Amino acid sequence: MIRVATDAGGTFTDLVAFDDASGRIFLGKALTTPHDPSEGVLATLAQGAETGLVNSAIGLFVHGGTTVINAITERKGVRTALVTTRGFRDVIAIGRGNRPDLYNLHALPEEPFVPRHLRFEATERMDARGAVRAALVLADIDAAAAAIRAAGVEAVAVAFLHAYINPAHEAEAAARLRALLPGVAVTASHEISRQWREYERSNTAVLSAYVQPIMARYLANLDQRLRQAGINCPSYCMQSNGGLADFTAAEAAPLVLVESGPAGGVAGTVRIGEALGESDILYFDVGGTTAKCSLVQGGRAVLRPDYKLEWSRLRPGYPLQVPVVDIVEIGAGGGSIARIGAAGGVQVGPDSAGSAPGPACYGRGGTLPTVTDAKLITGVIDPAHFAGGRMQLDRSLAEAAFAPLAASLGLSVATAAEAVIGVAEANMINALKLVTLQRGHDPRDLTMVACGGGGPMHAATLARELGLKRVVVPHFAGLFSAWGMLAARPRLDLHRTRLMKLTAASFAAAREIFSTLAAEAAARFGRTDGLLHSRAIEMRYAGQEHTVATRFDPDAALDGLFAAFHAAHEQAYTFRLSDTAVELVTFHLAAEIDAPRIAMPEITGAGSTEQALLGHRTLRTGGAAQELAPVYARERLPAGACIAGPALVEEPTTTTLILAGQQVTVDRHGLLLIEETG
Amino acid sequence: MTAPHESITHEVITGKLLATVDEMAMVLARASMSPVVYEVLDFACGICNAQGELVAQTNGITIFTGTFSRQVQFIRERFGTDMAPGDTFLTNDPFEGGTHACDFAIIRPIFAQGDLIGYGIAVAHLLDVGGAVAGSLPPDAISVFQEGLRLSGVRLTRDDRLIDDLVRIITENVRLPQLVLGDINAELAAVRIAERRLHETVAKYGTDALQATFRRLIDTSEARARAVIAALPDGDYHASDIIDGDGASDAPIHVEVTIRIRGSEIEADFTGSSPARNAPINCSRGGLTSAVKTVIKALVAPQEPSNEGWFRPLTVTAPGGTVFTAEKPSPTGWYYEGAAQASELVWKALAPLAPDRLSAGSYVSLCGTYISGSGPDGLFVHIEPQNGGWGATRTRDGASGLIAITDGDTYNYSVELLEAKFPVMIHRYDYNVAAGVGAGRQRGGFGLVREYEIEADDAVLYASFGRTETRPWGAEGGGEGSCNGIVVLRGGEAQRLTRTPWFTLQRGDRVLIETGGGGGWGDPMQRDPADVARDVRDGLLSAGQAAASYGVALDAAGAVDVAATEGLRA
Repeated sequence: MIRVATDAGGTFTDLVAFDDASGRIFLGKALTTPHDPSEGVLATLAQGAETGLVNSAIGLFVHGGTTVINAITERKGVRTALVTTRGFRDVIAIGRGNRPDLYNLHALPEEPFVPRHLRFEATERMDARGAVRAALVLADIDAAAAAIRAAGVEAVAVAFLHAYINPAHEAEAAARLRALLPGVAVTASHEISRQWREYERSNTAVLSAYVQPIMARYLANLDQRLRQAGINCPSYCMQSNGGLADFTAAEAAPLVLVESGPAGGVAGTVRIGEALGESDILYFDVGGTTAKCSLVQGGRAVLRPDYKLEWSRLRPGYPLQVPVVDIVEIGAGGGSIARIGAAGGVQVGPDSAGSAPGPACYGRGGTLPTVTDAKLITGVIDPAHFAGGRMQLDRSLAEAAFAPLAASLGLSVATAAEAVIGVAEANMINALKLVTLQRGHDPRDLTMVACGGGGPMHAATLARELGLKRVVVPHFAGLFSAWGMLAARPRLDLHRTRLMKLTAASFAAAREIFSTLAAEAAARFGRTDGLLHSRAIEMRYAGQEHTVATRFDPDAALDGLFAAFHAAHEQAYTFRLSDTAVELVTFHLAAEIDAPRIAMPEITGAGSTEQALLGHRTLRTGGAAQELAPVYARERLPAGACIAGPALVEEPTTTTLILAGQQVTVDRHGLLLIEETG
Repeated sequence: MTAPHESITHEVITGKLLATVDEMAMVLARASMSPVVYEVLDFACGICNAQGELVAQTNGITIFTGTFSRQVQFIRERFGTDMAPGDTFLTNDPFEGGTHACDFAIIRPIFAQGDLIGYGIAVAHLLDVGGAVAGSLPPDAISVFQEGLRLSGVRLTRDDRLIDDLVRIITENVRLPQLVLGDINAELAAVRIAERRLHETVAKYGTDALQATFRRLIDTSEARARAVIAALPDGDYHASDIIDGDGASDAPIHVEVTIRIRGSEIEADFTGSSPARNAPINCSRGGLTSAVKTVIKALVAPQEPSNEGWFRPLTVTAPGGTVFTAEKPSPTGWYYEGAAQASELVWKALAPLAPDRLSAGSYVSLCGTYISGSGPDGLFVHIEPQNGGWGATRTRDGASGLIAITDGDTYNYSVELLEAKFPVMIHRYDYNVAAGVGAGRQRGGFGLVREYEIEADDAVLYASFGRTETRPWGAEGGGEGSCNGIVVLRGGEAQRLTRTPWFTLQRGDRVLIETGGGGGWGDPMQRDPADVARDVRDGLLSAGQAAASYGVALDAAGAVDVAATEGLRA
C-alpha cells in the first residue's frame, strides 16, 4: 500500500509518500495556507500526482503539523472562559508560584490563558476519595453561562477539584453549559486528563478549549477535501505520543497534536529498532536550529511525566497533562551561530541563522559562522553536491564568516571550524547523557538512529565519545520525521490517578483498573481484538513525591511488582529502600492497534563498493592531521558493502561521516551501520 | 589538546561542570524522601576547587548562594591532609558557614593521581534532626541546643563506607531515622557523581586543563561583576527596616545597612542592626553572607551560572552578635526569616540605582507554616512556605503569588495532593484582594489567601510570619503594600497569629493564611486609567478605590470616564 504523510509547518507543507511494495518515495512541498491549511495539503497531493502518486491507491493518510502549537504560542486561540470550584478561580493564574529565574527580581508568573473576569466559580466539592462534600449548585452554572454568553466567549473549560477521581460534578456542569451555550465548545478537565494536580489539569483543559474550535474547523475541512480528492482510506493525525489518532479523537482532544513533528522521528526509531531487533534504541536528530534526542524503551516511545509548553530554564512554562514523547532538545543545529560569549569562551547556539538567511555558505546574505559552514570547511559537506546538487554552497563565504572568530581565538580558519564543531558536539553529548546515563541507561548497550540533515555528520564522533554500541543511518535521514509518521500505529494513552499502598488487595485493584482502562481503549478504538497493551504504574516509596514508571505484568504476582519497582527505582536513583512501604499513584495504559507497519524493502547485493566511489575529499576531524577520505554515493552501495573509515557517504538529504578506526556496513535493508573496528 | 585550543577546552569543560551540578541536583531531588527537598527544593549542589572556592553550583533556591565556600574551607581547616579518596564529611554547624542544623552539608574531596583537585558538595534540608519539636525548628527556641543534633565537621564515610558510630548517633537522635538516612544516601549519591564526572574530565583533558577552567571561570566572573559595580555611582547608600517580632516577642527589631560603592568594590555594612535575639529569627554570618550574595547576584548577573568570582568585589561587614551575625549558642532555626530581611535591606538601598534589576518591597517573609498531628497513617508533618505579592518595578506591575526571595524554583503544594495525604480540606486558594496592594504608577502584585479546615483531633500549628506590622515599601512615590498574617476561626471567634510557637488546633478550625501585596512604584495618579479599569473589571479593585487611590472615574459599563478622571486628577 501507499502511505502518505503531510506535515503542515509554519512556512511549508511537506508531503512524503512511500510505496511499501516498491520502496518508491514521492515528495511534495507547498506553502502553508494558514487561513485553511487543507489547501496546502491538497497542493502537495497535486504535486505527488504529477510524479505518479495515485490518490485511490493511498491506503494510509497521516497528517501532522504545527497548527495547535502555533495557535497557542501566537496567542491566536479563541476567547476562552473557565468555571472552577468556588474559592479556586485564581489557581490558573497562581500556577505553582515558582521562580525558576531565581535571581531575577523582576520575574513574573506565566500569564493565564483566561483573564480573571472570565473565570467563574461554582459551589460544589469532592474530597480526595471522590466523595461529595458539597452538591453542585446548578444556579451558579446558569449564572456563569449568562455571563459567558454576554462576553462573546467561544470556548469554556470546566475544572473542579478531584474530578480526576470523581468527575460527576464536572460532567453535570459541562452538560448544563452545552445545553445553555449552543455553538460554544465546552471542555471538562476529566475528559482530557484523569490525573491529579489541579493547576496542571486546569491548564490542560483551558488550553484544549482554547484551540478546540480552530482544530474542529480545520480537521472538518481537511476531511472533506480528502474525500473530494478521492482519498477514502483511514486518515489520522500524528500525535505527540508517537502514535496516530483518527480525526474524531484529535478533534475532541486537540492537544494530543501539540508536538507532532518530533514524535514522528521517535515513531520511525521504534520501527528501525524493530527491524534491527533492538527494543531499546536512541533517537538523535539534528535539524537547522536544534538537536533532539530520546530513548525508546521496550519498543515504545517513552512519554514525558511533566510536559511544559514554553518552559525554559528561566520560565515555569505551561504544564500539560497530555502524552508527549520524552524528548530532550537543545539549541545546536546546522544553522546554530558560533560566537565569543560574554565570558570569553566559544559559544554555539542557541540562536540560529535558520533558513533565511541561513548559513553563510548558502550565499543568501548570512555573514555569521554556523555549524554547517564549519562542516563545509572541514570537508564533510561537498559544496557541489549539497541537497542533491540543487544548491551550490560557497566555501569562501564560509571561510570569510569564520575569519573574525578565528582571529580572535588566534587559530586558523580550519582549526576554528573544528573547534566550533567540538563545542556543538559537547552540547549534544550532554543532551544524550541526560537521556541515557543520567537515567541509569548504559550507552554501551545502545544503538543510535542518527537522522535529520545534520545527525549523520555528527553521529560518529558522538558514538565514540559516549561509547555507543553502533550508529544507524536510515534511508531519507533528512526526511526521517515524515517517514516515521508513516511507521506509526494508532495509539491511545490512558492515565488514572489512584493513590494506594501496594498490598495484595491493591494489587487486585490494580488489575481491575487496567481492565477498566482496556475496556475504555477498546471502546475508543471500536474494537477489542488486535490491540497491543503496555501497562505501567507510576510508583514511589511512601513519603516520596516523585514516582518511577514501573512495568505492570498482569500475569505476574505481587512479589513481581515489588521487585520490578525496587529495580526501577535503583536504576533511576542509585538506591532502593527494601523496608519502606510502596505506593501506587498513577496507572498508565498505552494501547496500540496492531496494524501492519511500514515495509522496509530489501536492497540488492548487486554492484560493488568501487562502483559507488565518487572520489576523495580532504577531511579534518579534530586534532589529527588532515586525511584523504573516500566519498561514496549511498544509493549505489550494495547490501553487504563494508567500508573502513575515514570515509563519507553522500545522499541528497545528508552526508554520513565515518571516522578512522570505524567501519560502515550496508545491511540488507540498505541501512548504514557504523561501528568501531578496534 | 594543546594551547591554541585552550578556550575550546575551557568551554567544553565548563559545559561538563554545569551538566554535572545539574545531574547532582537531579539525583538528589528525585531520590530524597523529604518533601522540603523534593517539593520545596531546599537543597543545592556544587563543585569547589582545591582551595574551596565555588566553581559551579545549582540552586533550587537562593538561600545557599553563598554558603559552600566557607563550609568547604571549614572542613579543610579541620581535616587538613587527613583526607583520602572514599572520604566524605558532614557539617550542619550554623556557626561554621552553615545556616541551621536541619541543613546537612555533605562534602567529598576529589583526588586525581593522588592530588586533591576539588570538592563535591551537596546540602539538603532534612525533615527532622532531633531537638525540641518534630521538624527541629521550635519557633520559641532560646538556644541552638533545642534545634537538634549539631555535627560540626565530622567524617561520614571512609573508603566509601558509612562510619557506623556516626550513623548510630544520627539514627538515635532524630525522629524519622529512615528518612534521614534516605536523604543522606541521596546526598552521597550526588557528591559521588561529582567525583565520577571530574574523573572523566581529567582522564580526557588532564588536571591542568581542569584547573585552568576553574581559574578562568572565577576570574571572568569577577571581571564582569566589577564592571557592573564600577558603572554605579560611588557613594554611601543607606536603608533601614523593621523585623516584626522574633517568635518570643512582638517587639520590633531595628535593622540597617550602609552600602558603600567605591570603584569596582562594594561593601555591605550592617553595623547598627539590633543585637541577636533569644529566638530563632537570627541568622549566622553564613546565612547573612548568602543573603547579601543573593542580591549581588541579582544585581550583577542574574542569569549566569554562579561561582565565587561574582562575589570577589563584595565585602560584608558586621560586628559579631547582631541579629544577622548570631553566635553560639543563639538559635538560628528560622534563619531564613532574618536572612530574607537582610537581602531586602540591600535590595532597598540599591533599588533606585538599579531599577532595571530590582523592584519595590515584597511580602518578603517565607511565611513558613507547619501543621502536624495524627492522621490515618500516623504522625504527619505538613511544611509549607507561602507565596505572596512582589513589588512593582519602574516599568510594570508587581508579580502576584510568587515565592519569596529566599526560595526560587519552589512549587506550591497541590491542593489535590495535600488533601489525599493529610487530614485537611482547603476551601480557598486565591488572590488576597481584600488586603490589596501598594498603589502606584505601577502597582504591587497580590498576595494570596489559603484557607484550611482541620479534620484531625490533635493537630498543632506553628508558623513564622514576618511583615505582619511593617508593610512592604513603595518606591518613587508608590504606596506601601499589605501585611502577612494568620487568622484562626473557631466558632465565631477569630484569633490572629504571626510568629506562633505552638497553637493547638481542633477539628473544624479554619486556618486562614493571608499573605501581603507588594509595594507600588511611582505616583498612582500617573497610572494608565485603562489599567485601573482592567483591575476593576477583574474584581481586583472597587470603583471607589479606583477613584480614591488612582483618581480614575468609571462609567456604568466599567469604561474610563475621561472627563471625570481629568477632574479627579486635576
